[in-house]
Amino acid sequence: MLIGIDVGGTYTDAALIRDRQVVRAAKIPTRSELLSSLLEALDQIMEGVDPAAIQRVGLSTTLITNLIAEDKVEPVALVAIPGPGANPSGFTVFDDAHLIKGAIDYRGRETQKLQPAEIAEVMKKIEKQGIRKVAVVGKFSGRNNQHENEIYKYVTQNHPQLEVELGHQAAGKLNFPRRAATTRLTAATRPAYRNFISQIKAALQERKIKAQVYILKADGGTLPLEKAVEVPVETIFSGPAASTMGVLALTPEGQTSVVVDIGGTTTDLALILSGRPLLVSKGARVQQHLTQVRAFSVRSVALGGDSTIQVKADKLQIGPLREGPARCLGGPVATPTDAMRVLGLIDLGDEKLAREAIAEIAKQLPTNSMAPEEEPVITTARKIIDEVAVILTREINYMFSEWEQEPAYRIWEMMQKERIRPQNIVGVGGSAPPLIPLIAKDMNCQGIVPDNAPIANALGAAVARPTMGITLRVDTEQAVYTLAEDGTQERLVRLSKFHLEEAENLARELLKNRAEEMGLTEYSREAEVTHRELFNMIRGWSRVGRLIDVEVQIPPGLIAEWIN
Amino acid sequence: MQPTLKPWNQRRWDTMDPKSRSTGLVFFPAFDWAISPTHPEREERLLYTKDQIFEEGLMDLPQVVEYKAGFATEKDVARVHFCVPDVRAQITDAHLISVGSAMVLADAFMQGEVTNAFALVRPPGHHAMRVAHGNRGFCNINNEAIMIEYLRHKYGLRRLVIVDTDVHHGDGTQEIFYHDPDVLFISFHQDGRTLYPGSGFIPELGGPGAYCSNINIPLPPGTSDEGIHYVLDNLVMPIIRDFDPEIVVNSAGQDNHFTDPLASMRWTAHGYALLNEKLRPDIAVLEGGYAIETALPYVNTGIILAMAGLDYSHVREPDLQPGALKMSPSTKERVHEVVRDLQEIWANRKELARKRKEEVGAYYENNKRIYYDTDQIEERQTERVKMCADCAGYLKISSSAEKMWNNQRIIGISIPLYACPACQKEARDVFLKEKEQAKPTTDVIYLQDKPNDTFIEWSPYRKEERRY
Repeated sequence: MLIGIDVGGTYTDAALIRDRQVVRAAKIPTRSELLSSLLEALDQIMEGVDPAAIQRVGLSTTLITNLIAEDKVEPVALVAIPGPGANPSGFTVFDDAHLIKGAIDYRGRETQKLQPAEIAEVMKKIEKQGIRKVAVVGKFSGRNNQHENEIYKYVTQNHPQLEVELGHQAAGKLNFPRRAATTRLTAATRPAYRNFISQIKAALQERKIKAQVYILKADGGTLPLEKAVEVPVETIFSGPAASTMGVLALTPEGQTSVVVDIGGTTTDLALILSGRPLLVSKGARVQQHLTQVRAFSVRSVALGGDSTIQVKADKLQIGPLREGPARCLGGPVATPTDAMRVLGLIDLGDEKLAREAIAEIAKQLPTNSMAPEEEPVITTARKIIDEVAVILTREINYMFSEWEQEPAYRIWEMMQKERIRPQNIVGVGGSAPPLIPLIAKDMNCQGIVPDNAPIANALGAAVARPTMGITLRVDTEQAVYTLAEDGTQERLVRLSKFHLEEAENLARELLKNRAEEMGLTEYSREAEVTHRELFNMIRGWSRVGRLIDVEVQIPPGLIAEWIN
Repeated sequence: MQPTLKPWNQRRWDTMDPKSRSTGLVFFPAFDWAISPTHPEREERLLYTKDQIFEEGLMDLPQVVEYKAGFATEKDVARVHFCVPDVRAQITDAHLISVGSAMVLADAFMQGEVTNAFALVRPPGHHAMRVAHGNRGFCNINNEAIMIEYLRHKYGLRRLVIVDTDVHHGDGTQEIFYHDPDVLFISFHQDGRTLYPGSGFIPELGGPGAYCSNINIPLPPGTSDEGIHYVLDNLVMPIIRDFDPEIVVNSAGQDNHFTDPLASMRWTAHGYALLNEKLRPDIAVLEGGYAIETALPYVNTGIILAMAGLDYSHVREPDLQPGALKMSPSTKERVHEVVRDLQEIWANRKELARKRKEEVGAYYENNKRIYYDTDQIEERQTERVKMCADCAGYLKISSSAEKMWNNQRIIGISIPLYACPACQKEARDVFLKEKEQAKPTTDVIYLQDKPNDTFIEWSPYRKEERRY
């Protein structure tokens, strides 16, 4: 049996799965103590179940999001090595950074040495401030980590009490400011996360659940609990990832769907393109911080079941505020939930209160906008629902056009990017059933509200498989290769024959090794090459080497137990 | 759609609130396109630039808005060029994307989405002339010219300045606008006696109907940042202010850099950034620049930062020694001399233009030979321009090109967008007459009818017409 638990901002959902069926589910309000919410939901679904029968536990939590939002993180000193280029002061992430000398260029060549005296001074200053965490981030450290490593060595020898996080390990892809933000967040959240993980471990042990526990990441992939400690920031936004993976599990394979997760205050939209959830191109935005964290592209619309309805200039305005629950549930103002209650689309709360709320709105609308043979309250309720559908449809179309407008750097990409339109609109969340058919009609799609829609997130957490990526750059002129994900840099041998194929084989092998290290061997054979490019380096009129970029990925997907 | 654009003279970046400024950017490195595997214009050209600007995180800056590359249509190309025998024969998809990207940014600029814009694209275009028999100087079609005619057609713009800051003379752009008094073309470049394409001298001041709207500033090899800023401050900026354009376009080559392998100038990335800060181009379009490792990453970072109004003082080439790039006294003197000569011409431009027009009769005729280095084509051309009191006249070109396998002859008639009704009629009549009298040895007869935005290729042999 499989267990999935999603500790979300409002609710904690849990699901118990046997033979590809959700056999038990629980939904409880999330309390400020995330762990106790998680365990309460777990205990509900485990009642009377033999712990030894559990094969796999998948968790997604809002812990990192909460830690960052509530600023309950450790102070981190950022030591940055910007070298020549843009002035770091143009990026807020460097606002209070210690900037030191030294430079690496785009091919990983050292163009300016570090100055030991300067490093010593900076570290002394950091220690004096009572800060214990240091993020060390160099420009182009993903191409050459020598400077970051030198500083690491210096600090461990001279300031053993300082804990150092290195940029090339936290975020090795190109983008120095995002590397700095990611590294800083990694350093800041790790202690609390480590603590949380060990509490989970202890709690599961207490309950005699010995199954492997996986943590869901923002890109819909999972990591074994023990390994998640290394990349705490990657588990941010695992809630939307959980819902999307749940939808992936509940819709036919390989189709193009829009995931519409309608909550109380907001609606989250995500895209699944031909069976692949769409990722943000450069990395997630975590509040004001732009990071390199791979994450699903989620568009959050300030419109939900509890959004406040007002009339302004004879027109309905829905959201963006939420002032409480729907009137029919004792809230203060009219909401889309009340409109749905009036129309009998849902069976929630007090119908009389809902009618009162909508009637107040109807009075403010021009009389000539009402259908003659119908109660104004009914017409108004329908108008509200239509308006919600119109807004969400517009946002979905906008999301597609944004995706179409993502830059392309090659002719073939420009030529082949055809206009993709969704086949399915899949609803998740309480208000989904009445709204989804309206949106689907507007978009000329099939509307789907799966049976398990209310706990799709918990299901997603249970059945998401690991993801893993390798971004390899080979520079045959310098006879080196670098791996952006963990900053590996190695010398290359047998250069003369090094072409795309050899680079792809190397990338696959590196992925396999890394997967083994992470305890994820079973899916490494499903890795696919997602990007390959070879540049001949011409100096004068002859070739002096090749630059090869290869990316290999285990894409987000579902575990074998669910598919087979 | 009429532009609500203020004249360039009244628009200032430096006095704008930095928060409301933004620079549109299309980065299209065409990583899968090359003229040939070892050609300077190859896949690798913008690879290190990509690394640098991605690593800098420039696209994440609130002041930088990245746009997706776009496509130009064949009609956009036909609005400027007589492509032999047709548009498709002279272009690849890469060309349509390169110029299409400049047009995406032109739209973004005109619609007020951005303060200015930079098309960091390849392939380049400034050596491509009106008649396109093949590739010259790495160029097939002229990105800036196509963008400008698109802007004029779509937004009704008329007066524009193009400043060509490539180290090579922008002979293609010069040729296309040579008879257009509403486009001031300014090119500074390494003296044509020492560098391809061997043109761009001071006396090339424009056709008799557009005299002194073509300003060449040939600079001696070894001219440094200091030299170019002397030219900008004392010549280029005052000239642009006098001309009072609606838009300024930078035809932004990067091969004046001290490390460029094909030229001998001594500019730095900082010099390029400062140039753009002073010049305030509304739209910049990348042209040449082949020091792909030592110059381009830094020059492009500098230009983007300068256009976005951000600090570029930290942009510095690693191998740059302070004070190493001084001009010799004789180089400096030569720069000053060129500036003095051109200042004098500019001061007397109205008188000079009047005299020049008086020298010619009802039609101005001129023979020229054009060599296509990349494709090894010899073209002979006769251009005939109607001299009109009310407009810039129309243009008729007869051209024959000796290629390795055959010769091609064409006749092209071009009616400017702002031609007077009489010239428009005469030009259309000439086209009809040429069609009637056409010999089968003429491959194509063209009509570029800009007022009607209709472009015709007529094949006398096949008696077929294609319209764009």
